[in-house]
Amino acid sequence: MKIFVDRIKCQNHGLCAISAPANFELDTDGELQYHESFDEEHIDDIEDAIDSCPLQAILLNRDAA
Amino acid sequence: MTRGEPCIGIVGAGIAGLRAANALLKCKVDARIVIFGDETHRTYNRPGLTKKRYPSSDAPGTTIAEDLKVNGVENKALTWRLDTRVETADLREKVLRLSTGETFAYDALVIASGVRPRTSVEGDNECEFHAHRTLRGLDDAQHIHSELQTSKKVTIAGAGFVACELASLAKEYGCEVVMLETRRHGPFESILGRRIAMALGRWITQNGVTFLTGDSAKELLCDPGASNLESSSDRPLFIEAIGSVPNVEWLRGNGLDLSDGVRVDAYMRVPEREGVFAAGDIARYPDPWTTEDLTRMEFWKNAIDTGDLAGRSVASSLGYDSKTSRIGYFPSIATEVFGLRIQIAGNPKTSDSMEIVRGDLDQLDCGVLVKFLRGEVMVGAAYMDKGARFNSVYIELLKSLKAH
Repeated sequence: MKIFVDRIKCQNHGLCAISAPANFELDTDGELQYHESFDEEHIDDIEDAIDSCPLQAILLNRDAA
Repeated sequence: MTRGEPCIGIVGAGIAGLRAANALLKCKVDARIVIFGDETHRTYNRPGLTKKRYPSSDAPGTTIAEDLKVNGVENKALTWRLDTRVETADLREKVLRLSTGETFAYDALVIASGVRPRTSVEGDNECEFHAHRTLRGLDDAQHIHSELQTSKKVTIAGAGFVACELASLAKEYGCEVVMLETRRHGPFESILGRRIAMALGRWITQNGVTFLTGDSAKELLCDPGASNLESSSDRPLFIEAIGSVPNVEWLRGNGLDLSDGVRVDAYMRVPEREGVFAAGDIARYPDPWTTEDLTRMEFWKNAIDTGDLAGRSVASSLGYDSKTSRIGYFPSIATEVFGLRIQIAGNPKTSDSMEIVRGDLDQLDCGVLVKFLRGEVMVGAAYMDKGARFNSVYIELLKSLKAH
C-alpha cells in the first residue's frame, strides 16, 4: 500500500502532518512533503490523516507494492 | 408487514450519515440501510465548497459537484433516498414520515440531519436592496460561485470560517468585498479571543477587503443608500454567514433534549429513546476535553469520527461485535484566508489566558504560534503562517496537548 496525494486538490493545510507526522510534513515554505511508503503500525495515523484532510486530497493505493 | 432483517434509517446524506453507514457495513451488519437526504446530491466534501475558484466554464455546477464528490461504498444493502425530507418522527412507534407522503418504519435510527445557516431575513431571499444568500449545500455553492464570477461587489455578513473563506474566494474572483461583523472585533473572536481577532481583521483589510465592525457594520447591514431599485437580478449579492441552527424540528414531540442539537452520550446514543443515535454537526456529546460539559462541533473531522462511532454503536445495539469506545475526538482544524494558513487545535474557548510562543501578531504572515491556557494547563493552540516556519514547534505543542 502506498500513499498518494492529489497535488491539484492539496492546499497545504497541514492537518495530515498533525495526524501522521511520521509520513507528512510541511516544509518551511509551507509545501507538503510526504513519504509514499509507511510501516503497517502507522496505518491508524494514516487513516486519520486521510479523514482529516479538508480537501480529501489523500488516497491509499491499496494495490501498490 | 413482515420483516426479516432489521431496518436502519439514517437521516442526513452528509459525511456523518455516510460514515455511519460505512461503519455498519464494515461490521457486516445484516440489515437494510436507508440514507435520507433532502438535497439531490449524494455525499460531497462540504469544506471544499469555499476552498477554491472554479473556472467559468459552460457548466460550472458540474465541475464543483464532480470535484467534491465523496466516494461511498456501493452495496446492495444500502439505499439512497435523495431529495426526500423526513418531516416528522415518532420515536415511540419508530416511524418516520417523509416529504413524499410515505412512512418508513425503522429498528434503529441515526440522526445526522446537520445544521442550516442562521439568517436575519425571514422567508423571502430578497430584501429591498440585495439578493440575500446563505451557503450550506452544494446548490448554494454552485449559485454563489457563478454569482462571484460576474458580481462586481459582494457584501458578507459574519466573520467566521465560512465568511472568511468566502471573502478570500470573492477577492480571487475579482470582486469588491465588504465584510460586516456587528458583534465582534474580528474573525474567530469567540474561539481565539479579541487580540488575535483584531490581528486577523487587519490581515483581511491589508488584503483589500473593507472590513467593518460594530456600528459602522450595522449601518451597512441593509444599505439604506441604495434607494433606486434595480431589477431583482441586478441587486448586489449579500451573503449571510452568521452561524447555524441545528435541524431538530422534525424530532419535536418525542421528549428529547433539543436545546442545542440532539443530546447524546459518549457513544452517540440518544438516552431518552432506545435504538436512536445521533452524529455530526447536530450531536451534542460529553466533551472529552472538559469534565461535565457537553460540546457540539461543526467540523468535517468531527462528523467523520462521530459518524463512525454512531454506526459502530448501532451495530453493537443490534448484537454485533463492534469496537465501540467513548468519543475521544481531538479537535484540529485548518483554514486558509488570503494565503494565511490558520490552524487551531484543542479547545481555546475554555482558556483564561494566552501566550505567544513565537512571532508577532502584527506580522501574521511571518508566523505566529499561540498557546491557550486555563490556569497552568494548556487547553488549545493556534498557528498562523504564510509559510510553515514554526510548524514543527506547533506539532510538538499538539503532542503535549493530546497527551493531557
